[in-house]
Amino acid sequence: MPRGIRIYGKKRGHRRTGSSKLGVAGEAAFFATLLVAGAGVLAALLYGIVLPEWRANHEFVEHTCVVLDKRLAERENHEDKLYRPEVKIRYGINGRSFTAWTYDIATATNAANSYSAEREEAAAVLDQFARGEEYRCWYDPTQPEVVVLVRGYRWWVWPVLALPLLFVLFGAGGVLFSLLRWNTSAERRAIISRRAAGRELLAGNGHAATEFPTVPEGSDITNSPGTMLRYRLPIGTSPGWALFGILLACLGWNGVVGVFLMWVVNGHLSGDPDWILTVFLAPFVLVGILLIAVLIRQLLLATALGPTQVELSDHPLHPGGRYEVFISQPGRLPLDELQVQLHCEERATYREGTNTRTEARGVYAERLYRGERLTVGRATPFQARCEFVVPVGAMHSFRSEHNSVTWRLVVEGRVAGWPKYRRDYPVIVYPQEQNGGHE
Amino acid sequence: MSRPAVVIRFDQDVVAYLPGAILAGSFWLRGVTTDEVKAVETSVLWYTEGKGEEDMAVHAFWRTSAEAGEWIAPNRAHRFETTLPQTPLSYSGAILKVRWCVRVRAFLQGGREIIGQRGFQLGSLPAVESVEP
Repeated sequence: MPRGIRIYGKKRGHRRTGSSKLGVAGEAAFFATLLVAGAGVLAALLYGIVLPEWRANHEFVEHTCVVLDKRLAERENHEDKLYRPEVKIRYGINGRSFTAWTYDIATATNAANSYSAEREEAAAVLDQFARGEEYRCWYDPTQPEVVVLVRGYRWWVWPVLALPLLFVLFGAGGVLFSLLRWNTSAERRAIISRRAAGRELLAGNGHAATEFPTVPEGSDITNSPGTMLRYRLPIGTSPGWALFGILLACLGWNGVVGVFLMWVVNGHLSGDPDWILTVFLAPFVLVGILLIAVLIRQLLLATALGPTQVELSDHPLHPGGRYEVFISQPGRLPLDELQVQLHCEERATYREGTNTRTEARGVYAERLYRGERLTVGRATPFQARCEFVVPVGAMHSFRSEHNSVTWRLVVEGRVAGWPKYRRDYPVIVYPQEQNGGHE
Repeated sequence: MSRPAVVIRFDQDVVAYLPGAILAGSFWLRGVTTDEVKAVETSVLWYTEGKGEEDMAVHAFWRTSAEAGEWIAPNRAHRFETTLPQTPLSYSGAILKVRWCVRVRAFLQGGREIIGQRGFQLGSLPAVESVEP
């Protein structure tokens, strides 16, 4: 059915997206405001500063003059004083005599930016001129009373120009992008952005060219050969990073709490205890101790259990395919339990207000191996092999901007007296091999 | 005159297309005159549904524009044909669904649009449900 501009877009679950046309109009208005503001400031700077300087350098006529007088001009600026050098000169053009207080083009045109807070600098300029001496000057052929003693460009003009120029570029780019969106369908934009990104370039017949679009490449999974099987799988998230995170949290928390704790302890030692602060600080100290305990536990776990080595007989995986897994776990502590599982998980990222949230949901889990009361040693790691079949009809690995389906081998272990530890090893599942046709 | 609409037909009435199969069909516009149509876009695309933000990618795309001098006869059948890709397969998961469709978007005079869409299935994966790890 025909459609005009909608105030609200479609409702998705409990969330309602805004109208795309209204959103684009809002974006266009925002970028247009930036463009106009930037262009206005840029035009003012060009007209007020750059153009006069450029004219003085390129169009003013060289001449000679006699210095009659000089002075340090002052101007109040709130509570400060600003200064500029002024030199009174006399010069003649076609039999007509002119006198003017001048120095550079900013002074000659009495621009507000001709003053500065640098008194010594202005005085030093005046020292270069002596009364009664003859100097070169440049006058404006269209207004002979406008004359300068120096030419050139002030360096600070260019960085100042950069800011409005950025506004103009950003605004113009945004307006163009919004116009493109206004007149372009989501499908056409998708094609244009894919071409711009250089991904999955369309073949000559207008079709996407990648063999398995949306299936992650997974080349990092197969770049390390195994000792027993073909590939050694890289770990998804290194336990070292978790340890580093806990260390940072521990240092940060206890650093702040430690300062207050020293204050309280000193009060108690000097016989002037602050009981309110002592009671208030107690729970914070307890949390700090808890963090230290967690850190020590993670440290012990990391040192007591070496890296888990997981090897796979082939990769990528295919539904219906049979594969072998080899697992090797070195360490110093006996394992109460060790499990290897094949997991498949959906992940969805969405915005809720200003927050971006990710929800994960397991859709397949199969235990491939389970061992109990296992002896582990540094020199003699625990080793096991097992086979598994990727279920027929399983979804292939999938990744788009906000959604994914990920497969992984998960190793979970439990050391006596310690909570479970878990290590993930991502794998890629390709779609089931089929012949072209239809069902 | 009937309400403007897009009618899409597939050549073969099948439950699901296999990856690599040919998807062919035709479409026409109902209730629209030749003078009204500025451009028509035909896309074969997939999109996601579910908990996450919608993702979408176009597999095949054709645009016919009267402004570019191309003749658009709304009541005549317009053909489309493409070889379907290997992935992503149609999927109905716990918080994620992947859908395939042919979408025809006609741009009319006065900034109006009519959109017609017909879904199809790529592959035949069974639906899945959440599991506890």
